[in-house]
Amino acid sequence: MSVTRVTATRTLCNIRRPLLACALRSYVSASRGKASQHMPPGSELAGKSNLTPRIHERLQHLRTRYADLNARMSGDVSDLGREELAKVSKDFSDTGQIVIPYNRLLELYGELTELQQMIDESKDQSLRTLALEERQVALEDVAATERQIINGLLPKDQAESGGAILEIRAGTGGDEASLFSGELLRMYERHSQLRGWKFNTISSLEEGDRVKEATIEVSGRGVFGALMFESGVHRVQRVPATETQGRIHTSTVTVAVLPQATDVHIEVRESDLRIDVFRASGKGGQHVNTTDSAVRITHLPTGLAVENQQERSQLRNKEKAMQILRARLYDMERQKLDKERRDSRNRLIGTGDRSEKCRTYNFAQSRVTDHRINLSLYDLEGIMSGVSLQHIIDRLRIQHDLDELADMS
Amino acid sequence: MPRCPGNNTLIPLLRKLSESLGEQQAKNELRWLIEHTRKEIGDGINIQQHMTAQSTEHKGARLWREQAARLPDEIERDSERLSSVQHAWLRQAISDRTERHKPLQYIIGEQQFGKTNIIVRPPVLIPRWETEEWVLRLAELINSHTDNVRDTQQGLRAPRPLNILEACTGSGCVALGLGCELADNSAQILGVDISDDALQLAMDNLVYNQMLLSNHVHFRKVDLQQPVHTLPAQLRAGDGEPGGWDMIVSNPPYVTPSEYRDLDADVREWEDIRALVPLPPGTTDPRNVPSEDLDPSGMSFVVQLAKLAKELGLASKDRDEDASLRLDSLPRLVVEIGSAEQAQAACQAMHDHGLNSTEVWKDMAGTDRVVLGYFKQ
Repeated sequence: MSVTRVTATRTLCNIRRPLLACALRSYVSASRGKASQHMPPGSELAGKSNLTPRIHERLQHLRTRYADLNARMSGDVSDLGREELAKVSKDFSDTGQIVIPYNRLLELYGELTELQQMIDESKDQSLRTLALEERQVALEDVAATERQIINGLLPKDQAESGGAILEIRAGTGGDEASLFSGELLRMYERHSQLRGWKFNTISSLEEGDRVKEATIEVSGRGVFGALMFESGVHRVQRVPATETQGRIHTSTVTVAVLPQATDVHIEVRESDLRIDVFRASGKGGQHVNTTDSAVRITHLPTGLAVENQQERSQLRNKEKAMQILRARLYDMERQKLDKERRDSRNRLIGTGDRSEKCRTYNFAQSRVTDHRINLSLYDLEGIMSGVSLQHIIDRLRIQHDLDELADMS
Repeated sequence: MPRCPGNNTLIPLLRKLSESLGEQQAKNELRWLIEHTRKEIGDGINIQQHMTAQSTEHKGARLWREQAARLPDEIERDSERLSSVQHAWLRQAISDRTERHKPLQYIIGEQQFGKTNIIVRPPVLIPRWETEEWVLRLAELINSHTDNVRDTQQGLRAPRPLNILEACTGSGCVALGLGCELADNSAQILGVDISDDALQLAMDNLVYNQMLLSNHVHFRKVDLQQPVHTLPAQLRAGDGEPGGWDMIVSNPPYVTPSEYRDLDADVREWEDIRALVPLPPGTTDPRNVPSEDLDPSGMSFVVQLAKLAKELGLASKDRDEDASLRLDSLPRLVVEIGSAEQAQAACQAMHDHGLNSTEVWKDMAGTDRVVLGYFKQ
């Protein structure tokens, strides 16, 4: 099964066709062979589909359930308690998210059958052309509707809709690595600008264009969902500005994207924290007018320590350090869960493993390759400017969703 | 843009600053100064535009295409490029900082305090983070009290706002900080000070932060060390409001005379001694008080405030005609102090003047920082 997926993905990357339809159709062709009693009539006309027989079976089941719930809700509900009623109506609306587009999909299958019949049997040339056109429209509809169903089927991750903390750290390669991490930083900044996100430096260690490490808070809607796949080792291959003999160097930069933890996600007890204010040995207060505003928070149970001296205000530094600490703790929890899930499945894209090589930027060939989905784009400039980064993110998202879907079936 | 190439690098400035502050702190201060320069010090061209243009044409991408190696300080100069006016300002600022020990806050001219931005200028005391910390904590305490009172009073008339007197207001940061952190119209705050400089600055800060305030704040020049019966009638009656004063808060001078001699130059030479060391009542020449007249404990103003709290009726139950406010769960006197010994002395002074329950809050660095006196029935 997983072998099929990899090959399918490779084909996917080499052809230029509308993203979504292409990805959805080239996926899991093997399953079509065993299309059996569970595949609804007409579905074979819709081209390649991600909805395997098992998923169709599940969708049929959901459909029955939806009808039951509908009957329940429209009948006498006086016997239901308040809580039970709330549960039933929530269930009803959740199921509807999937079943309503599924019903639309079944209709589309019906339309396709009719159109096919028309194409096969009609002798009128103009009518045939019309039917062919209509079929094209219907096929596009099928792809979009399938996407909706898949979205509905996938488990919802609350963190994806929120903001994120982006950490960039220069790895091997000395100065060149820190130059490149500065460029990556600007790529993400520009990308955030384009998508209307707030890009806020929490702390950074930089000298001129060189950035050794930086922590950035990116806030806006769906930030984590989009940036989560950026975690990993980014590799650059080029002749560095500092190289006099024209040799190509390879350097690395590590990127980590942590979901922004709100109070709902994680609880940190005040008693678990040790807060250090630097040079606190003196009397403080009116006695000194300190500008040393560094604050360090240590989370005693885990030993995690976060230090911040970006702002002139101790209190602001403490708040931000706290924010980063929360994100790290939350991330630790998630990584644990993610690892458990990944260990049991063979997945292409992890969001947890930070040591995984994820992308190469080759300046000589003006090429960016994402190794997880084997995607090469010859648009380095566009990607570094933050614009074409979107393409990579979209592809990763689709692959991620397909992986999730495959886990389910 | 006119530039003097040889003179425009930051490295010598950083070196100079490092000598008096240490490298890490020098880097921080230089960064803040540069940020300030870029934001506030113009030079005829649109700095903002210049900056955006630079960042969007990917500096890095330009670097790798120019194959010739560049010296690190050339790169540094390029990225930190400032106009000659900005650079001159920066040089002046750093010489003020290192040779004249001018506090960074006076150079930048502004300091955040809670949500407010406080203008600072010599010789008025620069707001300290310890003060900011307890003021925010106090605001939280008062707000939860207000919530409770409002909850239990549902349907009844809204409780009147609390009358808060802030003694030794200085830049006005405590009064303005409370005025903007406290729930809408839950308090009215009067800040008083003896210094004309302080009062002028507090007024400026009131205007500067007007948009942020959710409560009425005003300032007045008053010498709180004079006997209570000579205080302005308005002050004695509790700001002209029924119910009199509900709370006194203060960051009074508490540095002892012997500590004062050892203070860092940036405090001793720049900030008003009247904000730091409690001086005898009626002092006209603060710098020339005979040392035998000075209070060696640094507590005389705190004691004076405890006395004032009693005389203004904060430590008695008969004046609390509005029982629905449940004032006994709120501190009546809140005073910043500088050490554990002073905390103990302040508690004693409060007990001596009828505030029968006291509490000490520590700051983030673990030092006893503020004493709260309650009157419990």
